Amino acid sequence: MSSRAEGFQRILKALGPTAVGLVSVLILVAPLRLFAGLAPTPILPLIVVFFWTIAAPAYMPSFSVFLIGLLQDFLSGGPLGLWPAVYLAIQYMVLAQRSYFAGREMRVVWVGFAFAALCAALMVWLVMSIMSQSVLSFRDIIWLMTVTALVYPVFSIAFARMHRAVFADR
Amino acid sequence: MDVLGQEWREAFGRRANSRFTLILMLVVSTLLLLSSLYSAEASVFKKARESVLDAAAPVLAFFAGPVAFIEDRVGQVRDYFNVLDQNEALRKENAELRRWMEEAIRLREDLAGYERLQAYATELQSAPIDAFVIGDSNDAFARAMIVNAGAGKGVRKDMAVVDDRGLVGRIIEVGNRASRILLLTDAASRIPVFVENTSLRGLLIGRSGKSPVVSFEAGAVIDELAAGQRVLTSGAGGALPRGIGVGRIAAIDPSGDAVVDLDVNYARTRIVRVINYQFPEFEPAPAEVLAPPEQLAGAPPPVAIQVREAPRTVTNTGLAIDSPEPPPPPRATEDEE
Repeated sequence: MSSRAEGFQRILKALGPTAVGLVSVLILVAPLRLFAGLAPTPILPLIVVFFWTIAAPAYMPSFSVFLIGLLQDFLSGGPLGLWPAVYLAIQYMVLAQRSYFAGREMRVVWVGFAFAALCAALMVWLVMSIMSQSVLSFRDIIWLMTVTALVYPVFSIAFARMHRAVFADR
Repeated sequence: MDVLGQEWREAFGRRANSRFTLILMLVVSTLLLLSSLYSAEASVFKKARESVLDAAAPVLAFFAGPVAFIEDRVGQVRDYFNVLDQNEALRKENAELRRWMEEAIRLREDLAGYERLQAYATELQSAPIDAFVIGDSNDAFARAMIVNAGAGKGVRKDMAVVDDRGLVGRIIEVGNRASRILLLTDAASRIPVFVENTSLRGLLIGRSGKSPVVSFEAGAVIDELAAGQRVLTSGAGGALPRGIGVGRIAAIDPSGDAVVDLDVNYARTRIVRVINYQFPEFEPAPAEVLAPPEQLAGAPPPVAIQVREAPRTVTNTGLAIDSPEPPPPPRATEDEE
């Protein structure tokens, strides 16, 4: 009996990062208007997906990534499938380079995240330009991703502590 | 049960992330994206969007509550520091408003005079729906907001949304408890407008990121255009009422489009009003009145008199819009969106 309860607890813990990702989407679409609308809310789900894919990919299965992206599409009103595709592509890239990132210094990972954010910006810009059949301005998405990359260290430290304290198996 | 638990444990937390699932999911989302590129208005997607909007509304409201509270407190603290400046600005505004009040009183008397003459039909009454903004798309390209009023409160697609400054956008998706506003800055936004004191009419086109522009009809003479002129909704196309303030002309593009400085400040939009505007309807006339009795007995009545109950048959300018049969006014349809 107790082993079953333990197993249940373990499942809940393993679902934790997914829940963090879904909540981060809700925070993203909340009307925060940071600094009277000067700074956009950073794309927190991207940080969540990137962080757990490097730190503990087993806690961020592709299906969770898909769900997180889909929720973002639904709530932001963009074309369905855009953010899941972006997040999964980022996850693919990160998994391919994971052996390089594992155990590296924080700033190396930060540079990696900045590069991933740039790739995400390119993908979103490309899809939206094709959709609107015009060359859209690149400025806004770059600004959004710059803000996201700037806050990455804060969130990655917080997530690392959270992971060790709450979700990690042992 | 244990077997299921075992599987779950393997899926979440134990086994290394499977490359196969990743690629499968990537393919699924790409297919989803392609299908939404080609059929964004497909009923399945529409239904799904509306359901998610509905389901997310209480959660979003839960998140938006504390945000508004904190912002109000911060605003109060900021106000203490700006009291003198604000006083000065308010005094100036008050003086200006007093002048407007004098004019309004004079106009009201004029209007009452015209109404007595019965030469002027009063504007149709509309029942506005007030709502709070509970979500912001926060996207570089998709510009939209979610408000906590939906079909349950009478919100319908294509209704105009205003705040205390001016036009915010129009409703594009309606759930039961929440709806989505397409902002004027979204690249998909098209609003029929006219420029005050000119004969110029055109479409306000969003450019996601930059200020929207007014694109005038081909052959329009834009000489009368000057920076600072007011841009208002024209009511053409039948979707929005006429005369809602949109903004002021900031500059004129070399291409002939006018860049518009919007009245609305999206960083401050918190409480909005959905304008439930009903357009004038044609009373379905009884067949006996229109057709001579002998004709009724024989051949079926002429098609032209069967005016169906379409909610929007004419705009307040008298233009015929998307009605199944052409209604009586002689002027032809124009400004189709």
